[in-house]
Amino acid sequence: MTAITQKKRLWFYRLLTLAVTAVLVHLAAVWALPRAIMWVLMNGPMAVNLNMRNQAAFPPPVTAQSRSVVMPSPDLLYSVCVFDVSRGPVRVMANPALPSYWSVALYAANSDNFFVVNDRQAGNKSVDLLLVSGQTHTSSTAASPGSRVIVTPSDTGFLLMRVLTSDYDAEKAIVEPARHTLTCTPI
Amino acid sequence: MSHKSKLNRWGIGLLLYVSAVLVGLGSAFWVLKSAPWMNNSVTVGAWKSNMRAGSQTADLYTRASIALNALLALGRDETMYFVATHDDQGHNLKSACQYLVQGVPPKARWWSITAYGDDLYLFDAPNRHYSLNGSTAKLDSAGQFHLVTGPQAPDSSHGFWLPTPGKSGLVLTLRLYNPDAALQTSPTSLQPPTIQVLGACP
Repeated sequence: MTAITQKKRLWFYRLLTLAVTAVLVHLAAVWALPRAIMWVLMNGPMAVNLNMRNQAAFPPPVTAQSRSVVMPSPDLLYSVCVFDVSRGPVRVMANPALPSYWSVALYAANSDNFFVVNDRQAGNKSVDLLLVSGQTHTSSTAASPGSRVIVTPSDTGFLLMRVLTSDYDAEKAIVEPARHTLTCTPI
Repeated sequence: MSHKSKLNRWGIGLLLYVSAVLVGLGSAFWVLKSAPWMNNSVTVGAWKSNMRAGSQTADLYTRASIALNALLALGRDETMYFVATHDDQGHNLKSACQYLVQGVPPKARWWSITAYGDDLYLFDAPNRHYSLNGSTAKLDSAGQFHLVTGPQAPDSSHGFWLPTPGKSGLVLTLRLYNPDAALQTSPTSLQPPTIQVLGACP
């Protein structure tokens, strides 16, 4: 009788441990997934090939062979930069000067879109941002007067500039120079 | 306790831990890929949209789901994304079948409908038609656009063809750039494009 009770107790604790472990692994996986995907995006083969850390890079137009990011939009031309403000601010400038839609969006290391500005919000002015870490915020804002200061929620993150092009071949001469106006420079 | 009995207990314990890890990982993947009730989505016709895509207020599950299924999405004041994986009758979309998609242009500054495989990448379209958009869409006398998806070109009366070669699932994404404020507030006010199967669909 005692042996059976001990066996039952052992299995109770085993199943309890199993359930608790499964729940913890589940939560950890859900928490870690966006961070892992962003890490691969910022450090994986595409990032290495385009050499985009603290400098702008210009991936080719989206085609069926584009495999870096799921659901790429074939109607947009992208400019990218992995910003790293751990050693100081990064200045971002862009002046596409196009009548159609464009935007500059910033993503944190956990994939949150924490800032975006589009052509209408920019008016006829160029985008001029100073990305700073929360720790260096107060000491660095004087480095680039006139820039809009953006405190980044993580030291590294991803910048994605979108330029609308509904017919790339016809608009190439206009949209390519426009997207190449992006600069991403450590100060 | 004998040496063999100790080994048995350790073996069972290890097996249980491995099982627990697999259950945890598997359930996370299932929830993020297949459980719509976790995704704060609204449904309009055959289309679903996650209202917290790209938002810093996204919860743990929404953030992970967006990272997995629509990385680098924007917030809905900038862009709204509606995704369809079923036709209007509720059947799974298949690349091997032909579908007629039609509707009125959504109330947004610019819009597009793009076809993806179930891996969420573009089809290798021979004519490089990956999407229909607000600039390329031609409207009929009723103010509606039309497109047909499928592996074969439709007859000319159906207009624009989005090729979907191969055998896979089909995911249609409707993007609205700078949607009207009323649509942002009430996403269900979208007049959803209809998705009807054409002919037999095995």
